[in-house]
Amino acid sequence: MLITSIGQGLLWAPLVIGVFLTFRILDIPDLTTEGSFPLGAAVTVSAMIHGQSAIVASLLGFLAGCLAGWVTGMLDTKLKMPSLLAGILTMTGLYSVNMHVMGKSNVPLLDQKVLTSYLPAAWSVDLQTIVVGLGVTLLVMAGLIWLFRTQLGLSLMATGNNAAMSAANGIYTDRMVILGYMVSNGCIALSGALIAQSNGFADIGMGIGTIVIGLASVLVGEIFLRGRQIWLRLTAMVLGAVIYRYLLTVAMGLGFPVDDLKILSASILVIVICLPLLRNKLQTKQQLKRYLKQIGVDQHATTSSLKRQAPTEGLLSRNGK
Amino acid sequence: MAVIGNNGAGKSTLLNTIAGTLPVDAGELRLADHDVTHKPVAYRSRWLSRVFQDPKMGTAGELSVAENLTLAEHHTGSMSLRGFRHKGQTEAYRTLLRPLNMGLEDRLTTQVKYLSGGQRQALSLLMATLSHPELLLLDEHTAALDPQTSHQVMALTQKIVTENRLTTLMITHKMSDALTYGNRLVMVQDGQIKLDVRGEEKQRIQQEDLLGLFAD
Repeated sequence: MLITSIGQGLLWAPLVIGVFLTFRILDIPDLTTEGSFPLGAAVTVSAMIHGQSAIVASLLGFLAGCLAGWVTGMLDTKLKMPSLLAGILTMTGLYSVNMHVMGKSNVPLLDQKVLTSYLPAAWSVDLQTIVVGLGVTLLVMAGLIWLFRTQLGLSLMATGNNAAMSAANGIYTDRMVILGYMVSNGCIALSGALIAQSNGFADIGMGIGTIVIGLASVLVGEIFLRGRQIWLRLTAMVLGAVIYRYLLTVAMGLGFPVDDLKILSASILVIVICLPLLRNKLQTKQQLKRYLKQIGVDQHATTSSLKRQAPTEGLLSRNGK
Repeated sequence: MAVIGNNGAGKSTLLNTIAGTLPVDAGELRLADHDVTHKPVAYRSRWLSRVFQDPKMGTAGELSVAENLTLAEHHTGSMSLRGFRHKGQTEAYRTLLRPLNMGLEDRLTTQVKYLSGGQRQALSLLMATLSHPELLLLDEHTAALDPQTSHQVMALTQKIVTENRLTTLMITHKMSDALTYGNRLVMVQDGQIKLDVRGEEKQRIQQEDLLGLFAD
């Protein structure tokens, strides 16, 4: 079960990395995910059916995702739309695009060679999935680690952190935001391409709930691995993807039907958001108790409302510019 | 050049128009012989730099001191794919930071959000002047600091501006600062220039004279 989760998690890892790019680096919640993920799947499966190799088809999927990201980026920066709305618009529009690409709502792969078929057939399916997932994920990570070592990458991080300051330092922030959207959705679409190949079909509905999966995985990853270096943060995302998959598998093992997966996803997200909140509350209470003991005040004294802060704030948005 | 005026007089509007965050209604804006009337902020940054009132605004908090300096160093909005870390950088940055006297030279890898307001503002100032801009805009840059730090940053400003011979436009609420620093004083009221004195004439002006004008 764990082995299967690792394989599946690695296939989902590019999606989580993509969500991380917009959500953490650019500080934008991007809903394009829900459209670009099935877009990647649709383009890849169609290309394969039209005779392209799995590698070329996956790359096409990635590029299609970049294009979707570009659209959201243009809506956000040039037409000055709120980023949530921009994402919703692209996502909605992409539904029709995906239908046109696929021709019908579900397209199966027939006997086309998928990425795992390049590996020795003697290997088990799980091993094949892990090798392909790991390969692609490492490729994405290597590319991003390199990017964030360049001046362009630095400008990208600065834009997400403090746009006014970045512009004042000569960074064309609009271009950076668009670039961020493109890379992010490219990764997300790539993940869609991998999942479609693993499932053996592309489905119009496969994007539903992907943003929740992405966000939950980002947060789960950050619970286990925290740091400032980009390689560490990306590793945390991969870890988050795997752990999240494992949680879902465990839940399924408990006898939840497949239809309940979405509400499980949503619940997991709620829980990972609440955990740090509860922990903080507990800590504050303990600290207060200790403090009151020290100064010898009755323990049932009321808590000062000044001391309370919203712990979720630090989790969902990066507090402080 | 120091600009003073009461709240709502149009000081910040003037500054934001020059910086490019506010659009121009009429007229033309020229920077170092370039027409920048309708150019974006990033384009104008080739010739001008800005220190914001809020210390948080002038630096990227998530990035380290060194990374912030690198951003300011390139300043032309580099899209280059070359690495941003290079040899000798650390030493060069230490040399730059040492004269600030804020202990920043030992905190190159610290994320800027952990610095104090004074340290952040000093860093902003250094970043703004690193590229030797044709025009330096100071937007009440000491207003958010305590009196002592404010004084320290002001002295630092004076030092950097004189050393680099920078054309500077400073907006301030402190009349004493407006009188002490700079060789030209402009007073704005209701969007109009009410007083414009320079050189020796400016030296003769006293706080009482300004107060008298404010009262009108």
